[in-house]
Amino acid sequence: MANTNCLRCLARPAFPSPNILNATTRAGMGIQRRAASKLAKPSNTQGRKNEKVKGQKTLRIKKKAPVKTGKPPAPGERKAMRKRIVLSNTNALEVEGLRELDSKMLGEWEESVVRELQAGEDDLVMQGALGLLEGEGGEAKGEAKVVGKVVALMGSTVDSLRAVEAFKTTQGWGLFRRPGLLIREESVALSKKLILSEEGGVLRLVIDGERGTGKSLLLLHAMATAFVRGWVVVNIPEAQEVTNAMNDYAPLPGTTPTLYSQPSYTATWLSQINKANLALLSEMELTLTHNLPIPLQSNISLSRLCELGARDPDVAWPVFQAFWAELMAEGRPPVLLSLDGLSNVMRESAYRAPDVSLVHAHDLAIVNHFVGYLSGEKELVNGGAVLAATNRSHAPRSKSLDLMLTQLLEAQVGEEEITEKDPFEKGYDSRVEWALGVKEAEASVEADVEGVETASSPSSVKEVKKEENVEAAVEKVQTVPGPVEVLKLKGLSKVEARGLMEYWAKSGVLRKTVNEQEVAEKWALAGKGVVAEIERGALRMRI
Amino acid sequence: MKVAWLPTSLREGLRCQFSVRPVAFNSNVRRRGLDASTKQFSTSTRLQAGIAAPEIKFKNESNGEDEEEKLFFARLVPESPSYFTAQPAFTDDLLALQDLVRKYSTLPVVKPGEAPRVAWRSLVEYRNMVGESVKASKYHKIVEVLRRLNQIHPSLMPRDVTAALNEYKRDVNPFQNVTKIAPLDEHGRAAGHGRRKTSSATAWVVEGTGEVLVNGKTLAEAFGRIHDRESAIWALKATDRIDKYNVWARVGGGGTTGQAEAMTLAVGRALLSHEPALKPALRRAGCMTRDPRRVERKKPGHVKARKMPAWVKR
Repeated sequence: MANTNCLRCLARPAFPSPNILNATTRAGMGIQRRAASKLAKPSNTQGRKNEKVKGQKTLRIKKKAPVKTGKPPAPGERKAMRKRIVLSNTNALEVEGLRELDSKMLGEWEESVVRELQAGEDDLVMQGALGLLEGEGGEAKGEAKVVGKVVALMGSTVDSLRAVEAFKTTQGWGLFRRPGLLIREESVALSKKLILSEEGGVLRLVIDGERGTGKSLLLLHAMATAFVRGWVVVNIPEAQEVTNAMNDYAPLPGTTPTLYSQPSYTATWLSQINKANLALLSEMELTLTHNLPIPLQSNISLSRLCELGARDPDVAWPVFQAFWAELMAEGRPPVLLSLDGLSNVMRESAYRAPDVSLVHAHDLAIVNHFVGYLSGEKELVNGGAVLAATNRSHAPRSKSLDLMLTQLLEAQVGEEEITEKDPFEKGYDSRVEWALGVKEAEASVEADVEGVETASSPSSVKEVKKEENVEAAVEKVQTVPGPVEVLKLKGLSKVEARGLMEYWAKSGVLRKTVNEQEVAEKWALAGKGVVAEIERGALRMRI
Repeated sequence: MKVAWLPTSLREGLRCQFSVRPVAFNSNVRRRGLDASTKQFSTSTRLQAGIAAPEIKFKNESNGEDEEEKLFFARLVPESPSYFTAQPAFTDDLLALQDLVRKYSTLPVVKPGEAPRVAWRSLVEYRNMVGESVKASKYHKIVEVLRRLNQIHPSLMPRDVTAALNEYKRDVNPFQNVTKIAPLDEHGRAAGHGRRKTSSATAWVVEGTGEVLVNGKTLAEAFGRIHDRESAIWALKATDRIDKYNVWARVGGGGTTGQAEAMTLAVGRALLSHEPALKPALRRAGCMTRDPRRVERKKPGHVKARKMPAWVKR
């Protein structure tokens, strides 16, 4: 069941739920009953208190029950407290000269992307080393200013990010005056890739890394970039909420294999999407005709469509499909589809099918939708990106996912030896390979190329043939979307760590002079600059 | 044993037994004074000369020499003129040393700081040696003279001075005890080994930028507690050298705390090979001393090492 009261604030329901009523009445009855029993049989245990009990050899002193004081919190209040997200601290100092992550900054990066592309072309055409050098110089100059600096998020971006639940309770937003992001080299690279993917050529990326290396924050950075660039952001904030069987679910009719929709989760998700992208969606009108179980006006905005879906969980899934079809129509903005906690979706969910077998997470409609785009089977027509981040704290281990990520990473780096499957391991899941875009097709292409190579002999005709074959194979590779990219996050560099610590010092949270020694110490103690560990050592564990 | 406390009669005998210095006449003064008396009391030890009766001369033993022994003192003559001072042995020693200084005053000397470092006998040791209650200020006079003698250029040091100095040197010279430092290997690595509780650690320290790998894991992965991470590289932190060295360590046995503190010692010792002058700083930081404490064993009749079962009335 979906909760009646809001989880992110302390608002209580207007009228108490029947459960509470029951609880109080039961308690009242209990009191009456106890009183009645007292009347019936007056207790006579006072005199016996210190008397020896026969057969008891050791001294026993009864412990007093702790006295209960105050009113216990109302149901749901504790959870609301736990899930509350504080984004501002009025006691923290305001940092002066903080840049904002706005369209101007992204524009600078776009320029540098364009310049790089041009430089690359020049290089190809006329080997213009001079142009390349200039381009590199300019780029380095523009980025060096930003990398290792903390930038603030714009107010509108913060609202949208809050709506898509991009902020997590474990992150230290509540320490600072306003939400800010450290710009790392990886985040600049990611932003540039996102900007490139606007033109088409969807970016499909899995962000991996050790615990506390900033995977979720990089995802947040991507979302912030998308919001600033005017994308539609569709985010699944916690994959485990989708798969841990805490929501109602129902099989979708007419699907083989059977997919399961999650009506109330979809409804809240739709309202989130609407709230986050309100400015964009309210501008867009329906262009297609949909066959929905509810009557629909032809000229309503997409925002209104989402509202309709959010209002009624029963139609939420069909409405979401209609909404998605509209987004994929021509002339719509790019879409960012993101998910945090990938390993939760790469295994069997906690839901059960009618024959009591566990439902694979990919058979849940929402996850299926996401994985379809992550694998590259379906394409974001108007450009955009599919991002997924893994999770290292309280995340299930998915053996296949781990293996695939290491293999993909090794292939990306171009290592000679690629880790092979453990032949004695039973826990592998073939659907994970498919979800990460590693398919039979690619394997066959490789086989083709190899076959050509083995067949080639030192005659000119065959040489030509081989070249043609290789070209054909390359074309095939280009048409078939390859496996996803993997970004392995590591610790910060010392420059970035220093920028972050200086920001903390300016905010008045870190009361130390930030110098080379201090940075080196914190960086080393945090295991080569793992961000969360630096924060833990510098801010949380102050003695 | 403190001979100086004993009565004079016992002192002499015991001193002969315990003293390092052979009982002999070591001063010219004393010898000169005794030249005459040797004929009368032919035994050479001071002990006998002090307390024994004169030797009996028999007629038939007499040779031509006997004729010369006409000289006879009516009273006992002390072996040294300084017998009448309060501390005759001390006075003799001082005079002998001063004689030496006077004798070799023309020899070239080294600069005050460059003389070989020598640990002289302590006051108590000296008192036991001579068997007299010598004051500290008096013994200091001897030490000053010794220092002056020690400053004579080593290549020209006369044999008798060396012998005199050796008598006043402590048996073990602590300044000769120089610690051996393990050299760096051809890759510039220094290995150190440390133990704590049941853990043991080996650390290889090399010049670098502050990267630490423990059993192939980063510091954060290897040790969850920040306190443990700090103790693992405490040797570097206490000497402000975190960003100057890289550490590669293997640890095993025991728990996390033991492993981290075994690393403290290992890194500290490896760091010494790079910079031996850091030893006092590292000792102050507690990176040199092995903590010998271990889990105390359980005893029969006890519940744990010390805990006794609860008292029960019958």
